Amino acid sequence: MHTLPQQLANGLFIGSMYGLIAIGYTMVYGIVQLINFAHGEIYMTGAFGALAVYTNLPDGMSIWAALPLMLAGGAIVAVLIAVGAERLAYRPLRNAPRLAPLITAIGLSLALQQAVFLWYPHATAGKHFPQLPGDGFDIGSVSVAPGDIFLVVAAVVCMSALATFVRTSRTGRAMQATAQDPDTAQLMGIDTNRIIVIAFAIGGLFAAVAGLASGLKYGQIKYDMGFQAGLKAFTAAVLGGIGNIYGAMLGGVVLGIAESCASAYISNIPGMQQLGGEGWKNVWAFVLLIIVLLLRPQGLLGERVADRA
Amino acid sequence: MTDIPLATAEAAVAGTDTGRRAAPYLPMPRTAARAATLAGAVISIASTFMSWTYTTDFPGDLTVSGYPGGLQIMTLIAAILTGVVALGAFGTPGLRWLNPSRSPNSVLLLALATLGTTWYTVIDIAAKLGGFANLDPGGFVAFIGALVLFAGALGLPIDRRPQEPAGAEYYELGRFEKYAAVVRTYVWLREARLHHSDLRVADARKLNPWLQRLVIVVVYALGLKILTFGLATDYSDIFIGYLIVVAVGFWGLGASGLLKQFQQLTHRNRRFSATVGVIAAIAYPFVQNNEHWANLGVSVLIVGTVALGLNIVVGLTGLLDLGYVAFLGVGAYAAALVSGSQFSIWSGVQFPFWAAAITGMVAACVFGVLIGAPTLRLRGDYLAIVTLGFGEIFRIVVRNLDGVSGPKITNGPNGIAQIPDLSVFGYNLGDNHSMGSFTLGRFANYYLLMLLITVIVVLVFTRAADSRIGRSWIAIREDETAATAMGINGFRVKLVAFALGASLAGLAGTVFAHVTNSVVPDPYQFSGPVPPNSAFLLAAVVLGGMGTVSGPILGAALLYVIPEKLDFLSKYELFAFGLALVLIMRFRPEGIIPNRRRQLEFHEDEELAPGNRPMGDDTVPAATAGA
Repeated sequence: MHTLPQQLANGLFIGSMYGLIAIGYTMVYGIVQLINFAHGEIYMTGAFGALAVYTNLPDGMSIWAALPLMLAGGAIVAVLIAVGAERLAYRPLRNAPRLAPLITAIGLSLALQQAVFLWYPHATAGKHFPQLPGDGFDIGSVSVAPGDIFLVVAAVVCMSALATFVRTSRTGRAMQATAQDPDTAQLMGIDTNRIIVIAFAIGGLFAAVAGLASGLKYGQIKYDMGFQAGLKAFTAAVLGGIGNIYGAMLGGVVLGIAESCASAYISNIPGMQQLGGEGWKNVWAFVLLIIVLLLRPQGLLGERVADRA
Repeated sequence: MTDIPLATAEAAVAGTDTGRRAAPYLPMPRTAARAATLAGAVISIASTFMSWTYTTDFPGDLTVSGYPGGLQIMTLIAAILTGVVALGAFGTPGLRWLNPSRSPNSVLLLALATLGTTWYTVIDIAAKLGGFANLDPGGFVAFIGALVLFAGALGLPIDRRPQEPAGAEYYELGRFEKYAAVVRTYVWLREARLHHSDLRVADARKLNPWLQRLVIVVVYALGLKILTFGLATDYSDIFIGYLIVVAVGFWGLGASGLLKQFQQLTHRNRRFSATVGVIAAIAYPFVQNNEHWANLGVSVLIVGTVALGLNIVVGLTGLLDLGYVAFLGVGAYAAALVSGSQFSIWSGVQFPFWAAAITGMVAACVFGVLIGAPTLRLRGDYLAIVTLGFGEIFRIVVRNLDGVSGPKITNGPNGIAQIPDLSVFGYNLGDNHSMGSFTLGRFANYYLLMLLITVIVVLVFTRAADSRIGRSWIAIREDETAATAMGINGFRVKLVAFALGASLAGLAGTVFAHVTNSVVPDPYQFSGPVPPNSAFLLAAVVLGGMGTVSGPILGAALLYVIPEKLDFLSKYELFAFGLALVLIMRFRPEGIIPNRRRQLEFHEDEELAPGNRPMGDDTVPAATAGA
C-alpha cells in the first residue's frame, strides 16, 4: 500500500481533481485578474447539483445511464451560479478598487456554502453519493478504484477539449487576445464581456466535473468541501503559473503527488516522525505554496513575473 | 429648551443649490401633506395610550390603557420624534434646531421608522395570536395612524437625486440598455433615491464652546442610555422593534443634519469627546451592574479591538487578510502556554500579565512576518489567499499538536484549560471587588482591562494613521505603483502594517485566553458559529467602515449583539454575513461610518460638487493632520 508507485498514482488522481478546479481560477484570473474565492463553492454546488439529479431519477436506473444526466445537472447548477455571480456581483465592481471584488468573492463563498448548508435537504452532515459499480483492481502494485479512472479520464478529456477550443476556435482566440490586453481586444471588435462570461462558464463546468468526480471517488459530499478544495486548487493554479491553463493541470498533479508523498514519507525523516500522515497533508501543501511564492512566484509554467501593481 | 440659533441663517441656502431636485412621492397639496404628517404623528402617539390587544399572551403586555408599555414605547418614541422633527422642518420657531438641514427627508425616514415598528408590532400580534381579530381598537388606531403619518410624509417635497443629463449612458444595464422600458424604469428608480448628503447645515462650531461640550456630554449619555435600553430588552420582539427605530431613526437624523452637526462638534472638541467617550465606556459596568452584560461588554470589546487591528491591515493599507483570527489564536495560545495552567506543557511557568502580553504580541508578530514576507512582494490577491490558508492551517496544526498525531504542545482539540485569572498589580481580576456601592465582578474587571487595551489600540491606530508611515499606507492602498514611484518602499511599509496588525491581534488574544479561561482550536477558523472568526471580523470592518476608528467597533458590536439578542437568527448568521459582504460592496462600499477619503475613492465616478463634502468620519484627516 505504501509503495512509491501507489503514492504517485494517488497523487495523480487527487491532483487531476485539483487541476480541474484550478482551471476555473486560472481562466478567470487570466482575463479579469480576479481571484474568484467563490470557485471552491461552485465546485461544491456542482456536486450537489449532480446529487439532486440522481435522487430524483427513477429507482433502478443504471448508474452509467444516470451519469450523463448527473453531469448535466451539476454543470447547469455550477455554470448558472458562476455566470450569475459574474453578472450580479463582480461586473458592477469591475472599476472599483481592488479590495471590493475580493471582499465580494469571499462573501459570495460564505453565502453559497451556507445556502447549501441551510436549504439543501439534510445537508448539515455529509451526503452519501452513488458509487460506480465494480471493485478496484490492481495494475502492477498499484490498486485503482473505478472512481479514480473516471477522474483521470475526465481530466484528460476536459483538458484536451479545452486546449483545442482555446487554440483553434474563434472564441478561444478571442479569449487569448482578451487575456493579453482587454482594451486592445475590445478595439479589435471582441465583446470582452461575453469572453469574461465564457471564462466563468468554463470554470463552472470544469468545477462541476470535478465535483461529480469527487463524489464518485469519496462516496460522500459535504457542504464545506469547497473550502479546502478551493484552497488547494488555488495553490495548484499558483504552482503551475496562474493564468496558464496547462500550468493549472500540471500544478494540480504536482501538488497532488507532493501531498501524497509528504503524508507517506515525511515521517521517515529523522526528527519529523510525528509530522507525517493524513493530518499534516494540508500543512505541507500550504508550506509548498509559501515556498513557491518565495522562490518562483510566477509558477512552473508562468512566463510573466507576477505583477506588482 | 431654547432654540439653538444654528439653523436660522441656513433657511435660504437650501433652495439655491444647483442640481437639487425636490419632489413628493405622493402628489398632494403642501398643506394637506403637512397636516397629514402631524395628524398621523398625533394619532400614533395617542394610540400608544390605548390597549392594542385583548390578551396578555403577547410579550410585553399591550393590554393596558392609560400608559404605553412594551413595543408601544417604540411607537411612542418614534412618533414623538417624527412629530417634532416635522415641526422643525416646517419652520416652527423653537424647533428648527431639530432639523438643521430643513429637509423633509428626515421626516420621511422617521415616519418610516414609526410605520415599521408599529406595523411590525400589529402584524406580529396578529401572527402570534392568530389573526387580526386579536387586536383591540388601539391596535387599529396605531395601524392607521402610522399609515397616515407615512402617507403625509410621502407628500412632502422629498430631496432626491438630481436628474440624469439627457442621453446619459447606463453601462451597468448591459444589453438591456436597448429596451426603452427597462431604461425608463431604471432611471425612475435611480431618481427616486433620496439625496441629502450634500445639504448644508449651520456650523455647530459657532456655538459657545461650553455649550458644545455640554451637547457632547448629553449626546454620549443619551447614546449610553439607548445602548443599555437595547441590551436590557428581554424578549426578541421588542428588540426587533427597537432595532427598526434605532436603525431607521439614525438614518433620519442623518438626513436632518443633526449627525453632521454633532460630527462637527466632536471634530472641533476631539480630545474632549474622546475623553467623554472613554468615561462613558468606563461607566458601562457601573450602570449595568450585572455580570451578563459585563460579559457581553467584554466580548464586544475583544471583537471590536481585533476588528480595529484588522482595520489597519484592510482599511488603511488595503491588504485583505482573511486569516486574521489566527493571529488572535497565536496570541491566545502563547499566553495560555505561559499562564501557569496545569495543562500547559510549561505548567510551572507563570508570566506576569505584562510579560504574557508581550509574549503574545511577539509570537503573533513573528508569524505575521513569516506569512507576510513571502507574499507581500506580490500582488495583494496572493496575500488574501495565503492568509486564508494560514488561518485554516493554524487550526489544523493546533489540533494536531496533541502528542498523538504530532508533538505535544497544545493538547489538540481539548485545548489548554484552567487558565488562571490575571492579576494586575496585586488586583486579581477573577475576584469580586467592591468600590463604594458598586461591585465589580470578574467580567467587569476584564471589561475594564480590555477597555484599556482598546484605548491603546485606538491610540496606536490614530497615531500610526496620522504619521508618515500611515500616509504611506494610504498611498499604497490607493495606488501602489504611484506610491512606489514617489519613493515609498511598498514592501517594507506593507510588512510593517501586516506585522502591526498581527501584534495587536496577539495582544487581544492574550486577554481573550484569560477571559474564556481556556483556549481550544475551534474559534480560530475562517467561518464558524461563534465569533471571533475571520469572516465575522471582516464583516465587522466592512460593515462599520474601512479605515475608520469607530466603524469596526460599531460593526463588531452590531454583529455580536444582534445575533445574541435574536437567537432564532443565529442559524442564518454566516449566510447573512456573506450576503452582507456582497451587498455592502455593491451598494455602500464605504460602510456605515464612511472614511471621507475612502468614500471619494469608492464613488469616483459620481460627481461631487465642490464644497459639498460628504459626511464622514475624519479619523484619517487629509490636510488637517498637522493641526
